[in-house]
Amino acid sequence: MKSKLAGLILLVAVIAAAGIYYLIRSENQITVLDGYLGGEKIGLYEDEEVAEILADRYHIQFEYSRAGSLDMVTADQTGRDYLFPSSQTALEYYEDEHGRPLASEIVFNTPIVIYSHRLVSDALKAQGVVTEQDGVLYADMEKLTQLILDGTAWADMGLPELYGSVSVDTTDPTKSNSGNMFAALLANVCNGGKTVTEGDVAQILPMLEVIFGRLGYMETSSSDLFNQFLNMGVGANPMIAGYESQIIEFAVENPEDYERLKDDLVMIYPTPTVWSTHVYIALTEAGEAGVQALLDEEVQRLAWEKHGFRTSGYGITQETVPGGVTGVASEVTQVIPVPDYDAMRQIIDGLS
Amino acid sequence: MSLYYRFLILKRKCRNYSPCRLACNVRRLFVLLMAAAACLALAACSGEAENSAGDSRFEGSAGGETLRIVSGSENQELEHILEDCARETGVNIEITYLGSVDIMRTLEQGAGGYDVVWPASSLWISLGDTDHLVKHAQSVSTTPVVFGIRESLAQELGFVGREVSVKDILSAIQEGKMSFCMTSATQSNSGASAYIGFLYALMGKQQAMTAEDLQDEGLKAEITELLSGIDRSSGSSDWLKEMFLNGDYDAMVNYECLIISANRELEEAGRETLYTVYPYDGLSLADSPFAYVDHGDESKEEAFLEVQEYLLSNEAQNEIQRTGRRSSNLGVSEENRDVFREDWGIDVDRVLSPIPMPAADVLMEALNLYQTQFKKPSLTVYCLDYSGSMSGEGNEQLVEAMAQILIQENAQRNLLQAGENEVNIVIPFDDNVVDVWTAPDSSEESLMALYEQIEEEACAGGTDIYQAAAEGIRRIASDYDLSQYTPAVILLTDGMSNSGMDYEEFKEFYLDSGVDVPVFSIMFGDAEEEQLEELADLSNARVFDGREDLIGAFRSVKGYN
Repeated sequence: MKSKLAGLILLVAVIAAAGIYYLIRSENQITVLDGYLGGEKIGLYEDEEVAEILADRYHIQFEYSRAGSLDMVTADQTGRDYLFPSSQTALEYYEDEHGRPLASEIVFNTPIVIYSHRLVSDALKAQGVVTEQDGVLYADMEKLTQLILDGTAWADMGLPELYGSVSVDTTDPTKSNSGNMFAALLANVCNGGKTVTEGDVAQILPMLEVIFGRLGYMETSSSDLFNQFLNMGVGANPMIAGYESQIIEFAVENPEDYERLKDDLVMIYPTPTVWSTHVYIALTEAGEAGVQALLDEEVQRLAWEKHGFRTSGYGITQETVPGGVTGVASEVTQVIPVPDYDAMRQIIDGLS
Repeated sequence: MSLYYRFLILKRKCRNYSPCRLACNVRRLFVLLMAAAACLALAACSGEAENSAGDSRFEGSAGGETLRIVSGSENQELEHILEDCARETGVNIEITYLGSVDIMRTLEQGAGGYDVVWPASSLWISLGDTDHLVKHAQSVSTTPVVFGIRESLAQELGFVGREVSVKDILSAIQEGKMSFCMTSATQSNSGASAYIGFLYALMGKQQAMTAEDLQDEGLKAEITELLSGIDRSSGSSDWLKEMFLNGDYDAMVNYECLIISANRELEEAGRETLYTVYPYDGLSLADSPFAYVDHGDESKEEAFLEVQEYLLSNEAQNEIQRTGRRSSNLGVSEENRDVFREDWGIDVDRVLSPIPMPAADVLMEALNLYQTQFKKPSLTVYCLDYSGSMSGEGNEQLVEAMAQILIQENAQRNLLQAGENEVNIVIPFDDNVVDVWTAPDSSEESLMALYEQIEEEACAGGTDIYQAAAEGIRRIASDYDLSQYTPAVILLTDGMSNSGMDYEEFKEFYLDSGVDVPVFSIMFGDAEEEQLEELADLSNARVFDGREDLIGAFRSVKGYN
């Protein structure tokens, strides 16, 4: 009898425990959000600390397919909850194609920079195209653009070991954001340093066509181009356009590799440069939850400390750059606004 | 927390793979032990089960995930590393080798049968991944596409110890001092890269080529002349090396790593080694990206990341360098420099400054021009088995396969369309040569008419492969100037040759004819593999397995000339 009772109590206890467990579980039900992501943010998405915060505090988990910022706007969005491109232009493009999204929010920013090798930056310094201030390299975009347009051979820049002419490799400006932003920058430079408006496009487009036409095949993802830059050596990519965040994330994730590469690898801030604005676009109601989650203070901190995205809350000094990355500007002041969507649309169409 | 993120934490803790391998794998040890017995049994009877299509499988653990990889043939040399990888990670690895163009097409069609793509160059992923299925792409190694030239010939041509351009090589070809082997530009990355490099050099262009550049008449004459220096072609880089080793040729265009591998074998055999020439005005680099194809299976993705982590670990990278490949971003470590021998012309210190790849549409146009106008026209004799056993399904498949090659709309899809001066001959046979049909030219209509003849012919009688093949060789040797064509006999059979001519008689006839014409075979039904291998060995050719996929086999073999 006693043992029967004990058995009954145990059974009730088990049922109760299971019930409570089930309740807690269903409360913590994780919603999986699927969407398109710009390749440069994959590191952030795969960061387990970030994933844990998203799961614990917001009960969401991000799944993604990688796509170029502009490509994703026209890609098949069936079953997708969000887009996470890297420019305001992509948002405006989206609005133009599909109308106003359920929600959108700027999550963080990063300036467009040029990655290069010591060999190249030294030669450019000697030519007065690149200057150094407080350990930070800056490129005079007017001079650099002229060298590119003139088709100046690397050999004439004192680099006979490089075949070809001065160029900055970018991702495809019609498909991916970093290339698109660099095209915006070049457009402004060709426009005499003034932000291009719709009326200016006809005049500067031929110059852009020359510059991008000479690049040939262009990658469609910023992370692929950056990886290629790291892997293929100075000969393959003497200079590429990318995001400042890329080198910081690389250094944090691969301290040994960064240590080995850092003497050769340089980051050059174009003067002026443009900001890449990472804006989250919600496509479904479930997707809206992503906005708040990404703006979480901890997530924002991790975005800078581990992935190099500048967020509003963090003052930057050269001593506190994550990963011990050298040559990072504490402030990026020489910035020119990106042309508005209508002008950018014309540039994209012209380069397609 | 999902299993996936938990895994990522584990993965991060294991960045440096080898020291903590044990800790990470304790949990797996039990499974491994359980699997060991089964593996042993399997290994004992099949080794690393390999079918004749060149696919391989490496056992990880019995309960482990299985990754299906589609890879360029050059990675065949890394199989011992994959074998270790499967053992260490517990992931079962299946690998299928395809040319780069086929990998691109596979991706375009969704790559349903594969979890991983591993082509020679990222370019083919970028071109093929129209559905955004690919992620986690990481370069496993890099290797430039170079010329390997017989040491003494390189000396004689003055190519040793100085910078050499494509134009220098063209001069050597024009003067009749050199010929070379190269893979098909429309089937294989090394051939495509070299060909694009040739075009840049001949255009004298250092910036991306345009569609207009390709229309230049002078260019057409020069590139045709350069490509006329090709004495043997192939659909795959690895087999090109094998073919080179089995024959007696001046030079080959191939990956630096395969030149190193060829030299090892040449040296071992006491033969003359190849000197490596990096044509500075037409150089390209292969970056060997190992990339995940996302079909939404999380545990496959975990397995992928684990395998990729292994391949990028210092331990595996060291092994990879030992095969003559350069590590991505690490280059070549001091202790592995002995592999990259200076006396073979290998130079790991030079800055490799590759030519820019043209935009996708220009590249495709260039490849089409290669196939239809620039390359040496192919001269192909198809010896097709119409014996009684072929009737029914066998014959239906044969007809369908020929439709893929001869009907130009189909052929174009695989960049196998007929070139301007291409010659197509069909010899239907049973225990006799039934007939010889020669298409009068390579126009769409003529090839269609040839196809219709194939379709109408009925099956009957026994099998004599030798007589048919001999007739093919006889026609090629007597009717054509072989310096103007890339010749091949393609023999399809489903049976054992048991009447008429025998191998010894054929061998005598072949050697007497004095021509270097490969006799490729496609094995079908109950074909006698040994007989076909004999023919392949004799003529430095290869046997393709059409038993599972006859159409695929025909397409592959067509990529060889």
